[in-house]
Order: sequence, then structure tokens, then C-alpha cells
Amino acid sequence: MADAPIIIDIRHIGKVYPMGDEDVHALRDVSLQIREGEYVALMGPSGSGKSTLMNMLGCLDTPSSGSYVFKGNNVRDLDDDDLAAIRNAEIGFVFQTFNLLPRATALENVELPLVYSGTRARDRRQMAIDALHTVGLGERMHHRPNELSGGQRQRVAIARALVTNPAIILADEPTGNLDSRTGQDIMNLFGELWRQGHTVILVTHEEDVARHARRIVRMRDGNIESDEAVT
Amino acid sequence: MTWSELAESFRFATSSLRGNLLRAVLTTAGVVVGVVLVVVMGWTINGLDAIWEQTISIIGRDMIYIDKWDWAGGRNWRKSMARKDVSLRQAELLSARLESPELAVPLSRNMASITLGNTSMRTMIMGTTSAYGATPAATMQEGRFFTPVEELQATNVVVIGHGIANLLFPDGGAVGQTIKIGGHPFRIVGVVEKRGFLFMEFIDQQIFVSLPSFRALYGLQGRSFSVAIKAGSERMMDIVRSEAVGVMREIRNVPPGAPDDFAVNEMKAFDTQAASIRLGIWVVGLVLTGLAFLVGSIGIMNIMFVSVTERTREIGIRKALGARRSSVLLQFLMESSVLCFVGALIAFPISQAIVAAARWIAIDVADFEAATVVSPFIQLHLLGIAVVVSIVVGILAGLAPAWRASRLDPVEALRYE
Repeated sequence: MADAPIIIDIRHIGKVYPMGDEDVHALRDVSLQIREGEYVALMGPSGSGKSTLMNMLGCLDTPSSGSYVFKGNNVRDLDDDDLAAIRNAEIGFVFQTFNLLPRATALENVELPLVYSGTRARDRRQMAIDALHTVGLGERMHHRPNELSGGQRQRVAIARALVTNPAIILADEPTGNLDSRTGQDIMNLFGELWRQGHTVILVTHEEDVARHARRIVRMRDGNIESDEAVT
Repeated sequence: MTWSELAESFRFATSSLRGNLLRAVLTTAGVVVGVVLVVVMGWTINGLDAIWEQTISIIGRDMIYIDKWDWAGGRNWRKSMARKDVSLRQAELLSARLESPELAVPLSRNMASITLGNTSMRTMIMGTTSAYGATPAATMQEGRFFTPVEELQATNVVVIGHGIANLLFPDGGAVGQTIKIGGHPFRIVGVVEKRGFLFMEFIDQQIFVSLPSFRALYGLQGRSFSVAIKAGSERMMDIVRSEAVGVMREIRNVPPGAPDDFAVNEMKAFDTQAASIRLGIWVVGLVLTGLAFLVGSIGIMNIMFVSVTERTREIGIRKALGARRSSVLLQFLMESSVLCFVGALIAFPISQAIVAAARWIAIDVADFEAATVVSPFIQLHLLGIAVVVSIVVGILAGLAPAWRASRLDPVEALRYE
């Protein structure tokens, strides 16, 4: 693991939001390296900066200072469309609230990232079907989100994150809206994906969720408080 | 931007419109009015063109009239007034000497009072030669034109226009009857087919007698004659015109270099008039259409802004999944143009109903017979124009909302409740 290539290389990044007359320092001085194949949990109470850091990691936002190199690209040099291309190809998002398009079927939701990558319609369909099978939803792909249970919706979202075969899967409180049994199933699914070789980054404030990961990074007041392997 | 993305954005657009069908339909009201106006206006102009073409072709596009007066000449009125009359002799000479045209006949007009039983009316009388019967302007509905013998002998026979025949003999059977012209009995030998269409109904209110009869009725004093020339085809117009002008200048002793002291009139004179009527309809129509589309596009823009706000989160999701600004822009532009296209689709049956009703009212209620040559259907190219215009309006109206959507910050958009 130690010699796997570094995907995420963050050095001394800060993020400042102007709020009224004051500047809010969401991130002060954060450095973090994540290698291919890692399973990392990002923890911290609300206001600790973990959401901001997650937005940085997901290339949804850019740092105010410091450098973030994602697979060799310095994110600060990229414009909106370059960032969109990286998100599309390299990052698979899984959200707490699933964030599926309500009017689209499970299959169409999973196909969506492939639409933006310009994949041909026929290939797109097959890849989406494969991804849905991977998460165990082969039977329900023509259902709309409101016809699916919470756990099933989150599986659709995970299939959508997987379908482009991204460099990292970035999951933001993926069990936050699920009951504990379903949450357990979802965490087992992440474990399985990790064992298959995917890099998984988990953002959570729940200790027992974080225990599924192999490394826990704790945030407080815009800084990294601790960064240790799970024993 | 790929075709597949375009196709996808079309699919997204239609599905999101289906999700709010009633709202979408109501929103397009302004566009519907605009498209109806475009289509109905286009149909009206086409209809007027058809009526006009009918009128001109009945009179003959290849007709040239050598006159004292300019037909189209408001401005030349004083100049025409100062000209010497064209005498019967000059008109006869010109008619006889022209070689290139198919036909050339002298004629003159006057107001006549005609009487049948207790009915009296004033109408236009034309004195001409029997050869006039060969022009398209004298196609007979029943009976015949007067003959060279009747002309030579100044027999009291008359040919009447369609309108006069209808007025005096509503039940038909005009031929063979006798009417009085200026107190003298004339036998009706023929009725001219209906020729007067739009703006030219007066043509049907004419009666025709031979020049000798005309001369006997009204004399030659203070009277100017015309020569009606049928070139034979539109190709011959230039040749015939220059021959007619040359011969007429010779007859009237116009010195070289001096302007013609007579007028050369052609149906073209009316074309400019028709063109200005057309232009008038266009201008009024364009202003109304423009207003409707302005109102319509404000409605579309408004609903698109609402849609962008409602779907902020969806935009955030799409951006997180890799939608570029252009993809989001395209999606919303597609949506607003599909919305307007739906408006156009709603407008088509409405326009067709209006067109059919207008034609029915014109023909069956207002008795405007000329409208029969107007098509009862909307022309296909008008539908094409309406579709293009509605899509362009959709794109323009969607530009600002789509731009706003494309610039949304993904982090903010994802956080939006």
C-alpha cells in the first residue's frame, strides 16, 4: 500500500469564505496524501471543515491557498469545465440524500455521468446495467427513485458513482438517511468495492461508520487533528 | 458537444415538460398567439396574392394601354391634364399601324345612364371595335361580342358586364333583352364573364358598344381615346411597347428628344399598388406578432427562471456528475425551445380553424366571391416558418435563465433545499 501511486496530494491548503465583513476560515492549513487503493474516513464535528475539505477533494471547489494536485493535475490551474471533466471521469460521488433525479429511472440515473462523458448510447446502457448488477439491483433498474427503498436508492447512487470507473469514490455520510441495518448493508458494499481495488473516501461523524475504513483523518477548526490507521 | 448529448438534452427537456404539462401549456399562451398571427397573416397575404393574380391574369398581364392619362399617376396629374387628347383618328391609326402585337383596338369610355323598365342606373360605357372581343378582358359568359358588320352599320347592340347582368336580370336571360342607353334602345347580345376581383369590381359594371354607336351617343368633342394593345405574351412586352411608343410619337408629331405626350399603361401599375397593400399587412402583422412574441418570451423567460430555481439541486447533481457549463446551458435552452415548439404545435390547429372560418365568412356570409381562389388550408411553408420562429424565440427567451443555471456554483446548488 505504501508504494501505491499518490492520487490526492494536498499541501497547506486553506479556504476562506467572505461572510459579511468578516472572512471565515473554513480550512486553515491542511496537508493530506491519499494513495490508490486506500479506504479513508474523514471525521469531525460540524464546522470542523470536513465538508469543505470534501468539496475540495471532489473538485467541486478550489482552495484559496496552498496546492492540490489530483492525479498530477494542479486543481488551482483548472477552470470550471476542466473540473467538471475530472469530476466526471475520476470521482464517484455518493451523497447522504442520494441525489438521484426523481423523474429518471434507476438505469437512466446511472447512465447520466456517461452522457456527460460522451459515451455512445449503446455502450452507456450496457455499462449502467453492469454497474447496477454490481450493487445487486439488476432486477429494479426500470424503477424510479420513489418506487425504491432508501437502501435501494443508495445502491443506485453507488452504481452511478461506479459506472465511470473513477479514481476515487467519495461518500458523504452515505448511511445518514438509512436505518442501521440498511446502513450496515451499504457499508458492507463499500468494503467489498474497496477489496475489489477501488479507492474509497468516507465523510462521516459516526465513529462506528468510520471504523469500517482503514485510516481515519480527524478534523477540528479547519485543521487536521489526527491521522491514524485503524487497528 | 456531441449528438448524443443533444439527444439526451432533448429527452431531458421533454420529460421535464411532461412533469409540468399544464404549466407548460399555459406558459406558451403568448407564443401560441404569436404563431397564430404569423400563420394567419401569411395565409392572408398568400390569399390576397392569389386573388390579385387571378384579377391580373383575367385582364391580361400582356396588355398595354396607350392613354392620355397615367393610371398610377397621382403625381403626373397636372402633366396629363396639359396633354392634348388622343383623337379617335390617332387611336385608329395606331391600332392599324402596329405590327408586333397580337391585337390593338381603339376605345373610349363615358358615363352612361341605362334603363330597363322602371330601373335606371349610371354606369361606365366603353366604345370599342369588334376586335376587343378577342381580348381576355372580354371573355363571354353567354352570348357573343358584337360583330364587324354590326360595328360598321352602327347597329344598336350592347354587351354588358357580369355585374350589370346580375343587377338587371338576377334570374338570368339577359341576352336578347333590350335596355335603353341614354334613351336609345339597345339589344343585349352578350354578357362578359366575371372578371373583377379584389379592388376591381368596377370592371364588371361596364357595358360595351361599338365605336360608331358610341360616337352617335356621345360625339367626339372633348373626348380622349385609348388604344388597348394585347402583346400576345409577356416576352413580347418590350418589343410591343417600343413599337407602340415609336408609332404614337410619329402620329402625334413629338419632336425627337421631347418626352412622350401620352401615357403607356400596363398592369404593372397596379402591381405597385398591390405591393404597398401587402407591405401594409406585413407591417401591421409584424408589429402585432412582435408584441405577441415579446409578451410570450417574457412568459417563457419567467417560467424558465422559476424552473432553474426549482431545479437548483438537480443542476448541482448534474454538475457534480460532470456536466459542463455548456451542457447545462444546452439543456435549458433545449427546454425553452421545446416549450415554444409545443406552443407552435398548439397554434397550428387554432390557426387552421381561424383560416377556415375566415374563408367561410368571406364567401358564404359576406358574399366576397373573390375569396374562392384562396386556399382553405394553411400553406406548409408557413408552418415551417412558424416552427423556426418559435424555436428562435424559445432560445432567446431561455438565454438568460439558462445562463444563470450554467453559472451556478455546484457546492451551493447541492446544498439548496
